Amino acid sequence: MSIWAALAGGFAGTLVLTTVLRASTELHLTRMDLPFLLGTAVTADRTRAKAIGYAVHFVLGIVFALGYYALFLALGRHDWWLGAVFGAAHGVFAGTVLVNVLLPLVHPRMGTPLSDATTVALLEPPGFLARNYGPRTASVGLAAHILYGTIVAVFLTLAR
Amino acid sequence: MAIIALHPTLESSRRSDGYAPLAAYAVIGDGRTVAVVADDGSIDWLAWPDLDSPSVFGALLDSEDGGQCTVAPTVPFRVRRRYLPGTTVLETTFSTATGTARLLDAMSMYGPVLGPSRELQRRVEGVSGRVPMQWVVRPRFGSGQRPTRLGRRAGIPVATAGGDAVAVRAFEAGTARIDEDRIWGTFETAPRSSAVIALCGSHQEPLVFPTRQDLDLRFTHTLASWRSWLDNRSYAGPWRTAVMGSALVLKLLVFAPSGAVAAAATTSLPEQVGGERNWDYRFCWVRDAAFTMSALLRLGCAAEAEAFFWWLVQATQLTHPRLQPLYRLDGGAHARERTLPVPGYRGSRPVRVGNAAALQLQLDTYGELLQTAWLYAEAGGCIDRDIGHRLAEIADLVCRLWRQPDAGIWEVRSSPAHFTHSKMMCWLALDRAVRLADHGVLPGRHRARWAEQAAACRDFIETRCYSTTRASYTRTADGEELDASVLLGLLFGYPDPHGPRWRATVDSVRRELGHGPYLYRYTGQDGLSGSEGAFLACSFWLAEALARIGRTDEATDLMDQLVLLANDVGIYAEEIDPDSGAFLGNLPQALSHLALISAATAISQEAHR
Repeated sequence: MSIWAALAGGFAGTLVLTTVLRASTELHLTRMDLPFLLGTAVTADRTRAKAIGYAVHFVLGIVFALGYYALFLALGRHDWWLGAVFGAAHGVFAGTVLVNVLLPLVHPRMGTPLSDATTVALLEPPGFLARNYGPRTASVGLAAHILYGTIVAVFLTLAR
Repeated sequence: MAIIALHPTLESSRRSDGYAPLAAYAVIGDGRTVAVVADDGSIDWLAWPDLDSPSVFGALLDSEDGGQCTVAPTVPFRVRRRYLPGTTVLETTFSTATGTARLLDAMSMYGPVLGPSRELQRRVEGVSGRVPMQWVVRPRFGSGQRPTRLGRRAGIPVATAGGDAVAVRAFEAGTARIDEDRIWGTFETAPRSSAVIALCGSHQEPLVFPTRQDLDLRFTHTLASWRSWLDNRSYAGPWRTAVMGSALVLKLLVFAPSGAVAAAATTSLPEQVGGERNWDYRFCWVRDAAFTMSALLRLGCAAEAEAFFWWLVQATQLTHPRLQPLYRLDGGAHARERTLPVPGYRGSRPVRVGNAAALQLQLDTYGELLQTAWLYAEAGGCIDRDIGHRLAEIADLVCRLWRQPDAGIWEVRSSPAHFTHSKMMCWLALDRAVRLADHGVLPGRHRARWAEQAAACRDFIETRCYSTTRASYTRTADGEELDASVLLGLLFGYPDPHGPRWRATVDSVRRELGHGPYLYRYTGQDGLSGSEGAFLACSFWLAEALARIGRTDEATDLMDQLVLLANDVGIYAEEIDPDSGAFLGNLPQALSHLALISAATAISQEAHR
């Protein structure tokens, strides 16, 4: 297994994940926009936020691929279906904890269930499974992460 | 000063079948939810944990089993109420034959120390003499539909239902006892005594039990937070008390986690007692958006204005380019309407949660959205390229839609019609799209088409929506009925404010729909049985319309009368019964308070021209 393959897989997986989410937005399946959510943690300028958000998202996608790589290494295998399973677990974690709980806590412009009249939130919190961004967000996010995990595994397989 | 007839029980004699008049209610809140407090010390409505959640206190809709939280003397009393200056902390002063006590009600801001996710404080201070008091907490989670268990945790009374829980902390307020369905206690006030009954809530997390010191700190923090917020508001015009009071009400209706503004804090308070016109208003209406943006900007609430615009842009994305009339406070588009098996306020059924109007076609919303964008951009707000493209697509859609009949601003449940107000708002949408394109905010590729369709829309209005017989813009095309909503065309800039048609319309609407300072919404059918009261926002629109056509003296006179129609603490409901003066409909009604702010500022501006 090559760490470079994992990095490349992370990049390609993030590319696909981002495209799937963006297409889902255009199809009115969800209002989830990860680059926008990430970028607005840095700036309130919407245009600049998206540019920064894409960069941060790709960095995070590559970092997560290293995590996948470590897990594959520990298990001694990197089948595509195992990547899909990791992706599914990643998607569930993202929907229930990462985006739902942790992001609002660190995001300076996002409301939380604790936001009161002393605060002015610019972004609505995602809610459980990010359903505030549309009821289909959970399934779209899960599918995108399964694709991501599969792509990382496939890159490792192809680089053998 | 409100004087309540005396009764040696917790129930005021002003109540009928357990229900207080709607004008007896004040509201407190924390930016997440709102509690509705009667002038006899009873909290009869509290949605928990959020403003649009099911209620934990719902006596407003079910006086027997809905649940409530009462703090009041056990002897006959007179009562006087006010908000502590610059805050939404409610002060209720009970005067009895043996002494005087004051009750301070507040929903705590979170503050710097660990606290519950929601906290309601009821503080009783002895002023003079001795006053025997009783407090009773009867929580009924899930709008009374979920079984509520009472028990103790570490000796503290707790009510639980599934993932929701409320702990009752009582300090200097007697021993907390638990009966079958209530937690209660009795105590007596003395000069300078200070008791606290605090409801400490949790939702899907462990309860937090605050100390007395924590409660005192958070109460002080809450007072300071409200005063700081109001100190930073800018309004120096006439009717300042009413305008600043309305600003506080508006802030209470801002759902802080998302920035949305709820139309009201309650559901299913009837437009006619005993009737079926009972709706859930705990949503954000696009209809109110332009008024909301305008009020926020005029009051110097730039941060809230930006948050509201961001919320509006995000919420409408799922249905883009079509707009729903309303969206949930969390930005969701689904608002499925269902009825609850509860008696309703004074037998007014059905009691609805959710709102089927979300599925209606209401063309006026497009004008409201583009006007909101125009106001936001005019005030220096940034509309980026993506949003500009989306607004342009909405303007394109208006070009295709404006000839269709719709349900109109009043969300009639009869057949769709060509409502004049809807057409005026379509004209507004296209006109604002042209202006925004001229300023480079929207892509100008379709500017000529927007201008052409705006002209066609105006031609439709001028040829088919004005009756020379009635000397007025009419409710619908080719109709003879009148509708106060057409005044919004004048308020938002439909030409020509000083022309003969607007002058005649203002007079006709006032004459035909008016009743003293009151104004009914419309004449004609709406697909519902029964009647309704006068619509308060329409009266303020009339006052503003009078100012816009240059009759500021008449506008001022009317405004002077309208500011007196609020209850003792400055709250307006949706409607009022012109004969009895009784409040009707949900409260506090954002649209009534927004219309007040808009009229006051407009009259002030016109008077200084």
